[in-house]
Amino acid sequence: MSRATQTALVRDDRTLYEAVAGLAVGCSGVAFLTGLAALLDLLSIDDLVAGLELSVVLGVVVLGLGVSVVGFGLTSRLGYVETEAQPSAGLVASAAFTGIWVAIGMAISGVAGLPTAGQLGIGAILGAAAFATTALPREDIGSTLPAGVVAGFCGLALVSGVVGPGLEQGLAGYNATLFGDTVVPAVVLLASLVTGWSAANAYGGFGARGRNIAAYVLIYLVVGSILAVLVGLVAFVTAKGLPGLFNGFGVGGAGLLRWPFLTNGAGLLADTAGVFPALLGTVWLVIGAVLFAVPTGVGAAVFLSEYAEEGRFTGAVEVATNGLWSTPSIVFGLFGAAFLIPRFGNQKSLIAGMLTLGFMLLPLVLITSREAILAVPDEYRDASAALGVSKWQTIRSVVLPAAIPGVTTGVILGVGRIAGETAPILLTMGGGVLPAKSAAPNVLGGFQLSASPPFVSNPALLEATSALPYQLYALITAGLSGNIQNPQEYAWGLALTLLLVVLVFYAIGITTRYYFRRKLHQ
Amino acid sequence: MVLVSMGSLLAAFVGFLLASPWTAIPLAGFLVATGYGWVRHQALLARAVTFAMTTVTLLTLGLIVVFIFAESIPAFRYETVTVFGVSVPGLGMFVQPRWDAVSEPVRYSLLPMIHGTVMVTTIATLVAAPLGVAAALFIAEIAPPRVRELVKPGIEILAGIPSIVYGFIGFTVINPWASDAFALNGGSTYLFVGMVVGLMALPTVVSVAEDALTSVPDVMKNGSLALGATDWQSMTSITLPAAFSGVSAAVLLGVGRAIGETMAATVMLAGVPRISEPLVNVFYGYETLTSLIARGYGSANGVHESALFAAGVVLFITVLCLSLGSQYIEARMRHRLGGVE
Amino acid sequence: MSQTDTTETRANRTDSQPVSTTAGETVEETRTEWTTYEAAGETKLAVDALDVHYGADHALKGVSMDIPEESVTALIGPSGCGKSTFLRCLNRMNDRIRAADVDGRVELDGENIYQDGIDLVELRKRIGMVFQSPNPFPKSIRENVSYGPRKHGDIQTGLLARLTGREESDREETLVERSLERAALWDEVSDRLDDNALGLSGGQQQRLCIARCLAVDPEVILMDEPASALDPIATSKIEDLIEDLAEDYTVVVVTHSMQQAARVSDQTAVFLTGGELVEYDDTEKIFENPESQRVEDYISGKFG
Repeated sequence: MSRATQTALVRDDRTLYEAVAGLAVGCSGVAFLTGLAALLDLLSIDDLVAGLELSVVLGVVVLGLGVSVVGFGLTSRLGYVETEAQPSAGLVASAAFTGIWVAIGMAISGVAGLPTAGQLGIGAILGAAAFATTALPREDIGSTLPAGVVAGFCGLALVSGVVGPGLEQGLAGYNATLFGDTVVPAVVLLASLVTGWSAANAYGGFGARGRNIAAYVLIYLVVGSILAVLVGLVAFVTAKGLPGLFNGFGVGGAGLLRWPFLTNGAGLLADTAGVFPALLGTVWLVIGAVLFAVPTGVGAAVFLSEYAEEGRFTGAVEVATNGLWSTPSIVFGLFGAAFLIPRFGNQKSLIAGMLTLGFMLLPLVLITSREAILAVPDEYRDASAALGVSKWQTIRSVVLPAAIPGVTTGVILGVGRIAGETAPILLTMGGGVLPAKSAAPNVLGGFQLSASPPFVSNPALLEATSALPYQLYALITAGLSGNIQNPQEYAWGLALTLLLVVLVFYAIGITTRYYFRRKLHQ
Repeated sequence: MVLVSMGSLLAAFVGFLLASPWTAIPLAGFLVATGYGWVRHQALLARAVTFAMTTVTLLTLGLIVVFIFAESIPAFRYETVTVFGVSVPGLGMFVQPRWDAVSEPVRYSLLPMIHGTVMVTTIATLVAAPLGVAAALFIAEIAPPRVRELVKPGIEILAGIPSIVYGFIGFTVINPWASDAFALNGGSTYLFVGMVVGLMALPTVVSVAEDALTSVPDVMKNGSLALGATDWQSMTSITLPAAFSGVSAAVLLGVGRAIGETMAATVMLAGVPRISEPLVNVFYGYETLTSLIARGYGSANGVHESALFAAGVVLFITVLCLSLGSQYIEARMRHRLGGVE
Repeated sequence: MSQTDTTETRANRTDSQPVSTTAGETVEETRTEWTTYEAAGETKLAVDALDVHYGADHALKGVSMDIPEESVTALIGPSGCGKSTFLRCLNRMNDRIRAADVDGRVELDGENIYQDGIDLVELRKRIGMVFQSPNPFPKSIRENVSYGPRKHGDIQTGLLARLTGREESDREETLVERSLERAALWDEVSDRLDDNALGLSGGQQQRLCIARCLAVDPEVILMDEPASALDPIATSKIEDLIEDLAEDYTVVVVTHSMQQAARVSDQTAVFLTGGELVEYDDTEKIFENPESQRVEDYISGKFG
């Protein structure tokens, strides 16, 4: 079947157009990052760049981007460059630009002093205009013109100084003021996002491919920012916490290492205040929670996967497990306070904290163990049954060993989660703000047997003990002050210690999961 | 032997419930009986013991419900309001905005806290839902394998950062900055607390949504590509709609996580139970249900303490409903995709 | 497939040369004459020295063949011989498999589809594919058929089009009806175009996938064992459809059923284990009087 018109397989050469569009995307990216830096006070908008204030320079850049983006659209529409523009820019783009222009309209009219009704009116008019401009013309105009106008508008505002370092806009009724230091970066961020999207669209020649590239640009930006926030957070806590953590650190002495921050308490006798009691408290909490939750969770998982029939009971258990999994940690704390405290001496105690965290860990262990057990192929069970081995023996010798990697990973990740929890232990454990080393729980040495009820007791378990997250909270509520040398540094060191403990658990858990998955797929 | 073992376990539990000092005896009995039975009747005992462990889950949830509700009764009774001649206990907590546990008239209204939770959760969802779904799409569909191996653990680590650490950073860095940047009286804002909580709920949305997206059969996407659609078109027209239920469930779970977030809110918020003026003023933050409980528990007594449990009840019910909702949606999605297979 | 001629043809075969390997076994060498095919019509797809590696696995070994237009070419061979791999190279769906390494040329109307700058969207508009298991989208029948043109922007539908008065529902209806008729499905579904496509039977779903493919107006249709998941009645409907489609499209069918290949195709290419194209000729010649001993053995069921 011969075809009258054939679209070429090889894309038409528009290398110059693509190059300029790519440059525009890059410029938008740089403008975006600069705006971000200004927002975070890494740069100041009245810094001088080549004799001009940064805000004016950014205004020029944004204006230029707006003009170039409109240029891309016109070049395509007027036929100088062949693109695959479709008859319309689409619903999503139209809705987005409508929203942006409604917001701009309301902001401007609000500043101009119009009442809410007037603001909505202006917003609606601009929004309708934006919708028409995006949806009605061909795609190459529809996805560039509205973007260019936004950027041009923002650029003009910045260049003319209307929005600049001197801006001081009070928000009537909100008891807040908008300053240039926040508004200028925000405007730059908005404009560069919009032009970046539009230029990426032009780079791809509009049409399905252009939208593909533009969407990818936005998504990469989102993911990049999330990762940047993560890295920034960890780096920030590390930077601020290192001085405290390594205060008095040295090699040599009685042991191989002197690490006072981890081995001392914070009492009056310690020369360098440390977090030992809290650290030990966290260790015991984890041990106690694991001893309670792991056998129970694994046992329940075994029953649900191997013995139980699908029915009302298993359905109810599944609903209950998922419900427990999403229950807020403070509710667990309330439960621990209401149920456990009266039964363990009517005071805040280590064992109450252990059991509360154990209850929190239980659904995590159950869910991951269940997945691990279900992942064991039926062939293993069938082969074992064919050899005449009983069900329980099969579970013991075949299923459980095969599920151990998955269970271990789940437990490690679960421990990482509960080690950082404050709310449950806040209500059930308590403990002091700056406990001395003597306050550290001595669980192993504390067991006592007696001939009369309750027959077994352990004062260490029944005492209010501190733990890392709790101590940090207590310090904050005490206003970051106390009877130690440098409470701020101490607090950051404490935060870093807590973060490291949790992250180590997570790192181990993720690595073991990766390792075991690799082994499985070989 | 199995009966002895299970019986003594039950007795131990009852003893514990009643806070009896004799609990140790049946507990020891359970251990001995189980140890002995392990040698002789292992298979049957194993089945019984694992069954007992399974009931622990149901029991825990049941006990939580019972005890939280029980402790909250005094507060509900205190706040009884008569409507059309019918006394409705607890209604008083939702019809007037005054919470004051100290000065007369002592009232326990949950409205300011509910308003705070709504504000924080709304902002958190606006952050976590779009960003989370975008990140999930990235991990499931767009990223090359090596990048995926980096990004996925990265987002899990974001979930691992303890909430008190987020709160600490918010308290020492964000609040002072906000106070400066917006000329506020004090730095506590629903806006930034919402953003922090959104960041904390993000990993939940990402992991559940990503699971949903990867469970859409590859064949469907291949069919779309073979027709000449682009990757993005295939993602938005085929994969995302097919995984829609799972993605909605992910967002619901994220909302639940945001509602239940405690420590960051407690540390960053001002802690004065008030309703913002005007209602949507994001520049000032007061108290959420969770921060109320965390802050107030140490010093609360009597009806005040009971009112905190009442707040816990509201929290628990809300999050439970969200959890049930998302489980229902996921079950329907499994049913539907199962029809495809 | 006649078995009576076997001894005669073997005796007549003078150019089959057994080659000894170092192990002392005799392995037949593939001769280029057996894979060079003089097509009746114009060449639509010209494949030249196509090599595919999946990591260490050499899945396709230097395959060269010319596929003539407006006819049915069948690719047969035992499981794992590379025929599906070959098919996926023709519309570059192999690009989706990260471990795949492709060398060689594939020319569509003289243009190499593996050169830089190829627009994959355009390529797949001209070369369509039908998969082994029917894979309709979880949408209505109408939406399934018009999916391709809608995504290409050739038909404007949807909320925005309706709002701006540009909706082309008439064009969509005509396209859907034409495609379903060509795929021999219109009579069965014309009254329920809004029903979910997943509610159709297996054979109907596969014909829907063919209709969906036709709606894009391709020049070549690649089919990867299109009837293997279907019952005999549905299979015969698909086979009739393939013969009908060959009047206007170039059809390349991978099939594991030799009977099917013999029934529907004009020319047949035989791949044998190891990704090697052994013989390619008129279907009658392949099944009645193949040049290669290995092909003869395969067809008579001695192995594979």
